[in-house]
Amino acid sequence: MEYILSKLMRFSVLFSVAFGIRLLFVGFGIYQDRTMVVKYTDIDYHVFTDASRFVVQGSSPYNRSTYRYTPLLAWMLTPNILLTPHFGKLLFVTCDVLSGFLMYRILILRGLTDVAACRFCALWLLNPLPIGVSSRGNAESVLAVLVLGTLLCLEWKRLIIAALLYGLAVHVKIYPVTCALPIALSLRRQRKRDGSNDGLLTMMLRLFSKDLILFAAVAGAVLAGLTWTFYCMYGWDFLHETYLYHLTRRDIRHNFSPYFYMLYLTAESNWSPVLGLAVFLPQGLLLLLASLAFHTDLAFCFFLHTAIFVSFNKVCTSQYFLWYLCFLPLVLPRLTLSVRRGLGLLVLWFTGQALWLAPAYYLEFEELNTFVLIWLAGLFFLLINTVMLTQIMSHYQPTTTEPTKKIT
Amino acid sequence: MYALEFKFMRVYNSKNYTKRTVELFRFTIQCNSSPSEGSSCDLSTSLLESVVISMNVSKKGFHRELIYNIQYDPTPQDVRVLLIQRVPSGMYMDAYQLASLREDTGLQVLLDSKVDLEAPAYVSPGFSAFIYLTSDPVSSGHLQTRVPIHGRYHRPSSTIRGWETVEIDYPRLMIRTEGCETLLPSPPHTIVEASCTFDNLNTCSWLEIRRSQALDPVSLKLPVGGFSDVVPVCAGTLLVTLLCSCLLSGAIWKYGVFEPL
Repeated sequence: MEYILSKLMRFSVLFSVAFGIRLLFVGFGIYQDRTMVVKYTDIDYHVFTDASRFVVQGSSPYNRSTYRYTPLLAWMLTPNILLTPHFGKLLFVTCDVLSGFLMYRILILRGLTDVAACRFCALWLLNPLPIGVSSRGNAESVLAVLVLGTLLCLEWKRLIIAALLYGLAVHVKIYPVTCALPIALSLRRQRKRDGSNDGLLTMMLRLFSKDLILFAAVAGAVLAGLTWTFYCMYGWDFLHETYLYHLTRRDIRHNFSPYFYMLYLTAESNWSPVLGLAVFLPQGLLLLLASLAFHTDLAFCFFLHTAIFVSFNKVCTSQYFLWYLCFLPLVLPRLTLSVRRGLGLLVLWFTGQALWLAPAYYLEFEELNTFVLIWLAGLFFLLINTVMLTQIMSHYQPTTTEPTKKIT
Repeated sequence: MYALEFKFMRVYNSKNYTKRTVELFRFTIQCNSSPSEGSSCDLSTSLLESVVISMNVSKKGFHRELIYNIQYDPTPQDVRVLLIQRVPSGMYMDAYQLASLREDTGLQVLLDSKVDLEAPAYVSPGFSAFIYLTSDPVSSGHLQTRVPIHGRYHRPSSTIRGWETVEIDYPRLMIRTEGCETLLPSPPHTIVEASCTFDNLNTCSWLEIRRSQALDPVSLKLPVGGFSDVVPVCAGTLLVTLLCSCLLSGAIWKYGVFEPL
């Protein structure tokens, strides 16, 4: 067993096995879709493919209702129409393995040995959750590549590439925009300091380092360029579906968010804007605080940021969990949690989801009025996430040496 | 005496996911007079008399299935049936799911407008679904089809949590036989022009079967929240989120590294 494990944890073996498993699942998905009533392929994959069909026909991808993504995605998947309908899934599983590779590089940069880095990568590469999500045709892995790529390039000090990737990441899914503050603070931090106390003006000026201006200019140009191009091509539909919908989203249907039942009950009330602010404030304040406190360790900061963002969001579905889980393998090596406690937290996290899923199933499929139970389960899940995050913070060993290495 | 009714309909063809605007002229004749021109082939009175439709809802919760059963006296003719189902604002059909079912089971349903899959009932208009059924030589005299239909979220009840009742009326039932271009109305049934097939290419005359007695609508229940919960829910939610925010801020403050800017 030990022998097999040590063989498996070799870089080439691990990545080949990870890719092979994903291909198997894609193949199995094709078989299941053809033969069984319950389909393997994610509904979103059909949305992407339909949007690509419109693009191939020369019209707007937004003709497909519920397509709320960048037109880039529909463009990327045109081989779905022109070559094979499975192209997108192959692309997504490749991105999934590529994000594993980026994790590996980041872990090596953070001082882990080759074998240790492989072990932590395996938590992603052999994890059924990302395997399932990407092989079912969900595009989350593309974003994981962009965000992890940004992180790696920042640690490498390849600022222009980092900024390009970051601009693209924000364009693809708007949520990485919350990571702008820790990135800005980390770029400021890397300036030389002489230890003397500065005046207010100098401190303010320090915020705007050359690195930061370069990063902001490139990322901003990418974002603005893409936005302008697609606005010219697809008009208001693009702005609304890609950005505004996600900002103003008021989905009153049940989801993991602790706010779901409150927002459903008050959807038409005059208090709605006040409650919207009350919902946004804790999220915003916590993100600000986490940026100030942990920007010296960007990987950890990104993890906390996305976890807080998702837990306190107005809408939260299970695929949102992947947004922060892709940073977990980077954080785990520095956790001093005992295995028992770690497993305990993991069990608690899954229990929280199960407690939510049970009443949600009864509401959706059995006609039982379980609104209050779903609401309580959502609040309980937030408490569990809070306990997990505080445990992780308290057992996190920040690096004692400078984490960034400049490669030449 | 003729009563003319023209209707302009936009039909969304879910198969190709493309909008195709077709004009469906409804030409309703409400008396014994009949057009004299054109070759005619009558549907036998006994066949029309024998047509019986039943509609049931299966499954529970927000995801249901409408099951239609149509019985008629077996006939050598190739019978086509069209059901025009009015879907109330509280429910919706998913054109994309219907397209996938078209591939898998041959289900043929057209929707008359673009349907929002996510909006709550109180901001959604209803719409009509055109369901096409073709007689099968093996089971002549009986047609069955199942159409998935989903519940929308409804406005919370003004008092306590409960269930909202949604009523689905029986569909209008049209019948024609293949190869029969002109139909003669046989009262009380009337002639209606509608798209011949699911392909939505050309229009045909259909005989709408009018029943002397309206059939009771099928009703189903959907859970709704209650406004009586609003105070404890808002208070509880804000309290717990405040508590969690405090716990997390405390941890960030304790374990984070704050440097002077």
